[in-house]
Amino acid sequence: MIDWIDFLIVFVAAFLSTVVVVSAYSLGIRLLTVSGRTPIVTPAEFTDAITIVTPAEVRKAEKRAAKAAKKSPLSDAQKRAALVGAWACFVVSACAVLFGIYLIVGEHVLKLLGLA
Amino acid sequence: MDLTLIVVLVIALALFFDFTNGFHDTANAMATPIATGALRPKVAVGLAAILNLVGAFLSTEVAMTISGGIIREGPGGVLITPELIFAGLIGAIVWNMVTWLLGLPSSSSHALFGGLIGAAIVGFGTSAIDFSVVLSKVILPAILAPLTAGLIAYAATKLAYAITRRHDGKPDGRDGFRHAQIFSSSLVALAHGTNDAQKTMGIITLTLVSAGLQPVGSDVQTWVIVTCAIAIALGTYMGGWRIIKTLGTGLTDIKPAQGFAAETATAATILASTNVGFALSTTQVASGSVIGSGLGRRGSKVRWRTAGRIGIGWLLTLPASAAVGALAALVAHLGVIGVLIDAVVGVVVIVGIFVWSRRSEVTPDNVVSEVADSGRAVKIKRNPKPKQRVKS
Repeated sequence: MIDWIDFLIVFVAAFLSTVVVVSAYSLGIRLLTVSGRTPIVTPAEFTDAITIVTPAEVRKAEKRAAKAAKKSPLSDAQKRAALVGAWACFVVSACAVLFGIYLIVGEHVLKLLGLA
Repeated sequence: MDLTLIVVLVIALALFFDFTNGFHDTANAMATPIATGALRPKVAVGLAAILNLVGAFLSTEVAMTISGGIIREGPGGVLITPELIFAGLIGAIVWNMVTWLLGLPSSSSHALFGGLIGAAIVGFGTSAIDFSVVLSKVILPAILAPLTAGLIAYAATKLAYAITRRHDGKPDGRDGFRHAQIFSSSLVALAHGTNDAQKTMGIITLTLVSAGLQPVGSDVQTWVIVTCAIAIALGTYMGGWRIIKTLGTGLTDIKPAQGFAAETATAATILASTNVGFALSTTQVASGSVIGSGLGRRGSKVRWRTAGRIGIGWLLTLPASAAVGALAALVAHLGVIGVLIDAVVGVVVIVGIFVWSRRSEVTPDNVVSEVADSGRAVKIKRNPKPKQRVKS
């Protein structure tokens, strides 16, 4: 007996959770950029696989981001709203992950800790 | 041979297998965050070890599949002996070594199942294997899970790029995905612990059941969970030194947004599969995600030769390790001498693996991270031209 339903459940669950987490985070990044705080995160360490980013390039990227932020047609209030929205998105993304983990292992962990 | 001695031997060998599993898979779980520079290699390795340890405690579904599902035990079934499990483990380890030597991508998990199935067939004939469980919990997930992960990663990459795309050419802030990768790769390590550490727990539980030290169909014992968790975490940590040079040979094209999408898809697929007891290969799922997310970027196409080679390695693993396991089981049937021969061969192979993995040169032919290998199955143009937005 093959449980085809199980495969469907795995696909749908994994698909939905990934889409929610990735969209929420991407939207957060988008809103963060809109609010004028474009994240510039350089690689933590340069292994062979990473194209080296020089300090000059980082400064240039920061300048470009600052320029884009200055030119933004949005009012300060709109920018603030975008910033709040961005963090709301990040929180939604994090909650989705935590909720997913809880759904999968919550019962088991509670049993392990002797709480249920 | 003394029953307790062989039980101790099997448990030791199983724990060693668990250790090599962690050792081998650190590179796979942490390949993408290191490749994009989201995490320092040292931090990534430490994080992977801790989260593997935690993950091992979170579920026992997969362990139950292995200890209670694949081989028919109890009334009406067979009573597998510790000698046969020993032979199965030897089969798995030998096949793992062979694939390393040949530079073929393989899966430790499937080698383990293959070895066990081969040994059981030699011991009791094909009736010993519950093929419907093997099909529904091992073989079908082996094919469908990487596909699932690949499809999801493809969609997620498209989404991440579409949502952050700026048509006006202003900075898009995609660097920010590096922060997200810290969490998504942690989730992959956690998922790895929930699925891979379980496999050894299943083997040890099966051994204890076969030796009559534990009733058929009972839960995994706590000391088994603890030792397996420690073995896989230790292996993960020790495997870290190899990571940097492995990454030099692959995954050069991964971007943060893509890495994040791939990792999230991998973690979601593994966690969901663990929950229904699918014993899948985390390596293959991660590889599927990397290929899928690569195809989700503009200007990408599959290098079919590389993809084909990877596919063949995967297909071969189960039958080939079954053959080696069967051979080891035949030898073990000779009695004490047979088990001794198996043990000697096993030790030689283990030493061989160690010597081989210490070799410093890493070329595309002996690359040790399958995920990095599959990264090369997708070719991505350096700077694809942006599409013009249609004005409405």
